[in-house]
Amino acid sequence: METPGGEQETLEVVVVQGLVRSYGPKVILNNLHLRIRKGEFVALLGESGCGKTTLLRVLAGLDSIQGGTIHTPGAPAVVFQEHRLLPWENLWRNVSLGLHCGRAKEKAAKALEEVGLGDRLDDWPRNLSGGQAQRVAIARALVQEPKLLLLDEPFASLDALTRIKMHKLLLSLIAAHKPGVLLVTHDVLEAIVLADRILIMRDGGIVKEYVVKDYADKRTVQADLFEALGFAGGDSPY
Amino acid sequence: MKKFVFSTPMGEKKLFLLSWASPVMIVLLWEVYCRFGLIGPEILPPPSKVLLAAITLAESGALLPDLGISLKRAATGWCIGAGTGFLLGLAVGFSSIARAVLDRSIQMLRAVPFLALLPLVIVWFGVGEGQKIFLVALGVSFPVYINTTLGIRQLDPKLLEMGSTQRLTTYETIRRIIFPGALPSILMGVRYSLATAWLALVIAETIGASAGIGFLALDAREFLQTDVIVLTIVIYAVIGVCADAAARFLERRLLAWHPNYSPKR
Ligand SMILES: Nc1ncnc2c1ncn2[C@@H]1O[C@H](COP(=O)(O)OP(=O)(O)OP(=O)(O)O)[C@@H](O)[C@H]1O
Ligand SMILES: [Mg+2]
Repeated sequence: METPGGEQETLEVVVVQGLVRSYGPKVILNNLHLRIRKGEFVALLGESGCGKTTLLRVLAGLDSIQGGTIHTPGAPAVVFQEHRLLPWENLWRNVSLGLHCGRAKEKAAKALEEVGLGDRLDDWPRNLSGGQAQRVAIARALVQEPKLLLLDEPFASLDALTRIKMHKLLLSLIAAHKPGVLLVTHDVLEAIVLADRILIMRDGGIVKEYVVKDYADKRTVQADLFEALGFAGGDSPY
Repeated sequence: MKKFVFSTPMGEKKLFLLSWASPVMIVLLWEVYCRFGLIGPEILPPPSKVLLAAITLAESGALLPDLGISLKRAATGWCIGAGTGFLLGLAVGFSSIARAVLDRSIQMLRAVPFLALLPLVIVWFGVGEGQKIFLVALGVSFPVYINTTLGIRQLDPKLLEMGSTQRLTTYETIRRIIFPGALPSILMGVRYSLATAWLALVIAETIGASAGIGFLALDAREFLQTDVIVLTIVIYAVIGVCADAAARFLERRLLAWHPNYSPKR
């Protein structure tokens, strides 16, 4: 952004080198390398059980690692597949969770406003729909002003229409806050719509990457991605 | 949690009235049976006579001080027992070392019906205030302890993870996640402990007392005053019901967020 080319170190929100993570004898992440630039939106695809969540948890500092190095500036914010709202706290208190400065309520109110729930500050989480709850979870993450936002299938349990609305909302929020994003998803279209760069994970490492803007036609990315994920051209129902 | 509601042809109000109909009927029948001599006065006095006994006792100034003494015993014992149980529960819930050291012994002690310790307690304290307060405290501490540890152990680990990704301090984690999360279980323990406190007090006072509701009952037994005996039973019952109502009120206030306790369905 500031200096074209040259030393990129300070412009990266994630630098992972030679990462190893195992459960007992089972090695899940094996010599994994990953870099995410400031403000870059990266999507991570890969078949179920390949270790996407494991990678995200390690980046979030929830699990320890058995080898390699991870550099992230400050702590990343996380949105999980479930909203993980505290049922005993109202929405603004949920969103302000972990805000240590003053004016927490003001900030929480602004964040809820941004996700379209500005009129429900004092409501309980149980009165929310799935999509609304997930919006609160996103507000809670963004109010931390993270340099890195980790999303683990945040829209997986939403219906298709709500998901499309959430994509729009997420894009506008990202444009406003400019965090680097790592999104884990199973939805190839979601990855194409949202991400600048799409990574394919297999055998504990990142095996391929696609820069979306390199493609003039998004349908070609889609075809390439399906192939990379193990569908031969004709197999895809799309 | 799902709530199953059976549809009824009656409204809430009518059902409420109906729920009070049978206790009222029982009292009425009791009165009628006594009046017609079907139940002798040495077995059971009619409810009206119990009421009369209450009024005479209260007017003579004997009832209220005794009631106060009993309540004070229960309150003191409850505070000591619940405090101890809660603190031990917190320690065991939070620290695996405390759990290793304490939990097994406490669980083994719990297997002893606490009333079985009464003779020993009398040897230690005599039949004074100490014996009564100790017995109440003992009975109260276990349910509070058990439910506190249970509440902490049953916390959703996902919420704790969320707390750590939101960078909560240890204090904030306890205040905003662990304590409120364990609260439904803790309050259940509190409610249960109120019942045991009362039970312990009745037993302790019946063994020997020179004041208090139990003393009234002992005294009345000497003179075969069944009306006073029944009155003391009724007082124990009423206070038990009040304590339970207070605990429920506390639950509704503190657990307003909880679907099972919310005021409206
Ligand atoms: N706590 C654990 N103990 C042992 N093995 C685990 C544990 N958690 C995950 N694994 C294993 O690690 C592997 C990767 O799991 P992970 O949850 O990262 O997959 P994923 O790519 O997120 O899959 P999905 O797309 O289905 O969410 C799986 O084989 C899983 O069985
Ligand atoms: Mg996963």
